[in-house]
Amino acid sequence: MRKSLLTGAATLALSAGTAHAELVTVFGPWLGPDQENVEAVLDGFAAATGYEVSYVGSDSFEQQIMIDAEAGSAPNVAVFPQPGLAADMASNGFLTPLPDGTADWVRDNYAAGQSWVDLGTFTGADGSEDLYGFFYKVDVKSLVWYVPENFEDAGYEVPTTMEELKALTEQIASEGETPWCIGLGSGGATGWPATDWVEDLMLRTQSPEVYDQWVTNEIPFNDPKVVEAIEEFGYFAKNDDFVSGGANAVASSDFRDSPKGLFASPPQCYLHHQASFIPSFFPEGTIIGEDADFFYFPAYEGKDLGQPVLGAGTLWGITSDSEGARALIEYLETPEANEIWMQLTGFLTPHKGVDTSLFSDPTLKKMNDILLGATTFRFDGSDLMPGAVGAGAFWTGMVDYTGGEPAQDVADDIQSAWETIK
Amino acid sequence: MNPMLQGIGIILIGLSGCIAYFYLSNLILDRVLFPARGPNAGRNINRANLWRPWLFMFPAIFALSLYLAYPVFETLRLSLMQRVAGGGYEWVGLNNYQRMMQDSKFWEAMRNNMLWLLVVPAAATGFGLLAAQLTDRIKWGGLAKSLIFMPMAISFVGAAVIWKLVYDARPIDLEQIGILNAIYLALGGAAPQTWLTIPFWNNFFLMAVLIWIQTGFAMVILSAALRGIPEETIEAAIVDGASGWQIFFKIKMPQIRSTILVVWTTITIIVLKIFDIVFAMTNGQWETQVLANYMFDKLFRANDWGVGSASAMVIMILVTPILVWNVRNARREMR
Amino acid sequence: MDNIAGRKSSLSWVVNISVFFLVVLWLLPTVGLFVSSFRTADQIASSGWWKVLFPSEQNLTLRTAGPDEQVEQDGLYVLEGQLFEPGSEAEISVWGASSRDIAAYEAGETAQLDDGETLFVGADGSYRMESPVPFEGSRGSRVFVTAETPPELTLNNYKNLLFDPNNVDGMSRAFMSTLTVTIPATVIPIVVAAFAAYALAWMDFKGRALLIACVVGLLVVPLQLALIPLLRLHLAIGIGKGYLGVWLAHTGFGLPMAIYLLRNYMVGLPRDIIENARVDGATEYQIFMRIILPLSFPALASFAIFQFLWTWNDLLVAKVFLIDATGKTTVMTAKIVELMGTRGGNWEILATAAFVSISVPLLVFFLMQKYLVRGLLAGSVK
Repeated sequence: MRKSLLTGAATLALSAGTAHAELVTVFGPWLGPDQENVEAVLDGFAAATGYEVSYVGSDSFEQQIMIDAEAGSAPNVAVFPQPGLAADMASNGFLTPLPDGTADWVRDNYAAGQSWVDLGTFTGADGSEDLYGFFYKVDVKSLVWYVPENFEDAGYEVPTTMEELKALTEQIASEGETPWCIGLGSGGATGWPATDWVEDLMLRTQSPEVYDQWVTNEIPFNDPKVVEAIEEFGYFAKNDDFVSGGANAVASSDFRDSPKGLFASPPQCYLHHQASFIPSFFPEGTIIGEDADFFYFPAYEGKDLGQPVLGAGTLWGITSDSEGARALIEYLETPEANEIWMQLTGFLTPHKGVDTSLFSDPTLKKMNDILLGATTFRFDGSDLMPGAVGAGAFWTGMVDYTGGEPAQDVADDIQSAWETIK
Repeated sequence: MNPMLQGIGIILIGLSGCIAYFYLSNLILDRVLFPARGPNAGRNINRANLWRPWLFMFPAIFALSLYLAYPVFETLRLSLMQRVAGGGYEWVGLNNYQRMMQDSKFWEAMRNNMLWLLVVPAAATGFGLLAAQLTDRIKWGGLAKSLIFMPMAISFVGAAVIWKLVYDARPIDLEQIGILNAIYLALGGAAPQTWLTIPFWNNFFLMAVLIWIQTGFAMVILSAALRGIPEETIEAAIVDGASGWQIFFKIKMPQIRSTILVVWTTITIIVLKIFDIVFAMTNGQWETQVLANYMFDKLFRANDWGVGSASAMVIMILVTPILVWNVRNARREMR
Repeated sequence: MDNIAGRKSSLSWVVNISVFFLVVLWLLPTVGLFVSSFRTADQIASSGWWKVLFPSEQNLTLRTAGPDEQVEQDGLYVLEGQLFEPGSEAEISVWGASSRDIAAYEAGETAQLDDGETLFVGADGSYRMESPVPFEGSRGSRVFVTAETPPELTLNNYKNLLFDPNNVDGMSRAFMSTLTVTIPATVIPIVVAAFAAYALAWMDFKGRALLIACVVGLLVVPLQLALIPLLRLHLAIGIGKGYLGVWLAHTGFGLPMAIYLLRNYMVGLPRDIIENARVDGATEYQIFMRIILPLSFPALASFAIFQFLWTWNDLLVAKVFLIDATGKTTVMTAKIVELMGTRGGNWEILATAAFVSISVPLLVFFLMQKYLVRGLLAGSVK
C-alpha cells in the first residue's frame, strides 16, 4: 500500500536526482562506534555513485543472516565476520559470485593477494568454485594491550619473547597485582576471544603446517598438539592469580568491558590480549600510543617458529544480487573507500594502493608494520572452520574450559561436534 | 507516523471486516441457505445450527492451522530430511534423531528443561497461592498485589537487564554493585560469586527471573478464585472447629483446583516457549542450555535444520503428557 | 467474623510482615535498575544503587595541566590549577601520584616526588606542582585521587537516550515501531478468538471436544519452529517483512491462548441466561453480540492486556517477521539487546533504555489493572 503510493509519487515527481537512487541494503555485525565508521564509508559510496544505502548492524548477525537468507529476505550485501559462515551460505546457494575480474584485482592489489583470494573462494551450490567474498577491513589479532604509564609506575619492561611475557605475568602476580584482563562474553557469540588465544598459541607452539592441518581437521581437534595449546591458554586464564576477577569471571565478563580494567584506579590488570579493533571500546578520550599502547604477542625464543601473526578480516558478499550491490563491491576496491575508514579508528587494510600517511594515528601504522613483519601470517582458524565448530562448538568449548572442564574433554567434545557434520 | 496511520487503518479494516464477516455469514445462513420459514423451517433451523459453529470458528481455525499446525508438520517433515550440498533435501529417516542423541549438549538441554518444567510452574503457583492467601487478609493487600503483579508487565529482555544487575559480580577489592553479591558478602561470603556461571545452580538463578515474572499472574487469578469460594463453606468449617491448615487444604484447595490447573498450564506453556531469558543472559553456556535455545542454536548458528527440527519435535513430545492430562481435565469439566 | 478476632490480631502482624517482605523482594530488582537510570556512570560503577542517598567514594584518575602551561616563579617551574571539572563538588580524601600507591597522601599534604619535584593536592582538587627543572613531555602527570562525591540524581541519561541527536532516531523510532506492532496485534486476535471461544463453549456440534483438545494442544507449540516456514510463506505471497506480517504472526500465535482463556471464562457464565435467551427465540448471533460479549468484557480486557504485554515485549517474532535490512522498523526489545551487546557495562544506558521500554506496559498495567482483576473476579473462577 505504502510502496505503491511512493512509486506513484516518484513517477509524478520529475526530480532528476532520484532516477538512479536504487537502495542498497547492507547487513553486518558492527554496532556502536564501528557502525558509525562503516556508515561513513557507505556515505562515501552513496556520494560517489548516487545510490541510496542503508546499513543495519546486529549483535546476533550469524543467526539473523541465516533466518533472512532461508526466507529469501536477505539484504543486498552481507558483511561476514567469519569465512566459515559465508562458505556455508555459498554452498547452500545463498551467495552470488562476485563480478568477473574481482579475483584478478585482489591478486594484483592486495598484499599477499593470492591468500585473500583463496580465503574468499568457496564451492557454490552447483559444485563449482567461485570468489564469493571480498575482504575489506583486516584485523591483526596478535596484540597485547597495556598502559605505558602503569608499566612505568611499576617498573615493568615490554616483553619481547613468550618466556619474558610469562616471567612478567608471574612477577606481577607475585607483587600482589593482577596481570591479565580476559573477557569472553559477547552475547550470542560468547567464547570467541578465547579461540584467538588458542590460535595464537597454536602458531607459537606448532609449525604453520600443523596449524593448517588443524584448521581443516586433518589432525583431529583432540590431538595432543591442540590440547597443549589449549592448556597453554589455561596457564593464563585458569589461574585465579593471573586474571582479574579470578578464573570464574573470565567467561562471564564481556570482552568489551574487559579492557577497562587496564584503565581503572588502581589498575585491575596490566595486560590484555585482543585484536586491533579493541580501542573502539576503550574509555572515551583514550589516546592510543599515550594512554594505551600495544606490543606484539611474542613468540617463544626456545622454539624456532619465527614471528607468526594471526589476523582476521570481514568479507563482503552479495546475498541479494543487484546493480547497486556490485557497485558497492567495486567501490570497496577504491583507495578512497579504504582511506575514509583509515582516518577513523581500528581499520587496517592489505590494499597496496592507499596513502598510509592517512592513518588516524601512528599506532595503526605500527600494526600494519606488524602485519608486514610477520614471518608467518595465518587467518583466524575458528573463522575458517565450519560454522558449527568455528562459530559454535569451539566457542562453547572454550567457555566450558574456563569454567573448569579439562582441556582433553573439551577437545574431545569439539572433535565429536566436527565429526557429526562430516 | 505513516505506519501508525496504517496500523489504525488495519485495525478499522480488520475489525469491520471481522464483524462484517460474522454478521453477513450469519445472515446468509439464516436467510438464504436455510431460511427458518416455509415447509422445511424446522429442518432448516437444525441445519443452520449445524453450520453455525463452523462459521464462528472458521477464521480462528484457519489462522491456527496456518500459523501453528502447519509448521508442526513442516517441522516433522524437516526433521526426517537432511540438506544436501548444493541445495535441496534428501530423506534420511531417523538419522537426525540419532545424531542429536549423540550430542551431549542435547542431553544437557534436556535435563535443564526438565528442571525448568518441574520448578518454575510449581514455584510460581506456590508463591502465587501464598501471596494470594496473605494479601487478601490485610488492608493494603490491593497495593501489595499490584506491586507483586508488576513484573508481568516487564519484557523478558527488560527482566534480563534487571537481573543481570542483581547478579552482577565484580572483583573482591571493588565495591559490589550487584545486590546479591553485596548481601552474600555482608552475610560472610568469602568472595563474590559469578552466579550465572556456577554450573547446575545457575539454572535456578535463571529460573528465578521467570518465577519473579509469573508469580503475580498466578497470585491474581488464584486470589480471585479464593474470593469466589462461598463464605458459608468456610464458616461451617470454622464452626466445626477446623484449623487454618485444614480449612486451606480441605475446604479451599478442592474448590480452586480447576483454577490452579489453569494457572499451572499457562505457566508451563510459557516455560516451554521461553528462550529469551536464557538467550539474553547466558545463551545456554555454563550448562544452562534449554531445548528452545538449543534448537535456535542448531537452526541459525550451526545451520543444521535436521537436528534443529528434531529437537523441536522433542519439545513437542515432552509436552504431550501435560497436554493429554490437560485435555482430559478439560473434557471432564465439559461433562 | 469478629468473634474469632482474638486469633486474628496476633496473626495479622505476621501476615503484614510476610507480605511486606514479599513485596520488597519482588520490587527490589526493578527498583535497583530504576534508581540506576538516574545515576551517572561513575556513581553506578563506584557504589551499589542502594547507597544512592549516600555520598559515593570514587577512585579517579586525573591529570595536571601539560608542561606547556608551566610558569617560572623564583627559579622553580610551577604548574597550578584545578584537577576537577568546573562545578564539581567532589571532595578528595587521599591521593597518590603512582598507580601502585593511589592513597599515599592525605588531601592538603605536599608530596616529595622524584627529581626534586613536589606536588600539593587540596581537598577541593586544587594542585600545585613545583620542579627545579622544566617539566617535559606532551602531557601532564597523572594524579590518582579518592574523592567523595555528594549524592545526586540526574535526568541526563534519559535526555541522552531520547533527545540526543545521535540516539534520538534509535530509541524514539524504536518506540514508535513497538507501538505500531502492538495495537493491531492485540485487537485482531481478540475478535477472532471471541467467536471461536463462544462456539466452543456454548454450541453443541460434533468434534467440539476434539477441537478444544487441538487448541490446548496448539498452546504448547514452540514458537521457534513456526518461524521459517511462515516467513517463507509471507514472502511467497508478497507480504514480505513488515508490519502486516508481524500482525498476522502475532494473531496466529496469540489465538490458542485467547481461545483457551475466553472459553474457560464463557463456560463459567450462568447457563440459564443463555438458555432463557434461546427459549425467547434469540439467534446465536444475537446471544453472542448482546449477552456473551458484554458479559465477557472483563475476560476480553484481561486477555487484551496479556496480549498487549506479550506483543510489546516480544523480541523473536519481531526479529523474524518485521526487522528488515533497512533497520527502520527496529523495536525496542531488539534495541536493548543490541545495547546489551555494545554497552555491556554501561549500566546507566542499559537501565535507562530498559525503563523507557517498560514504562508503557507499566502504565497500561496500572491503569487497566482494575479491569483485569475485575474480569478475573467476575467469574473466570468457578
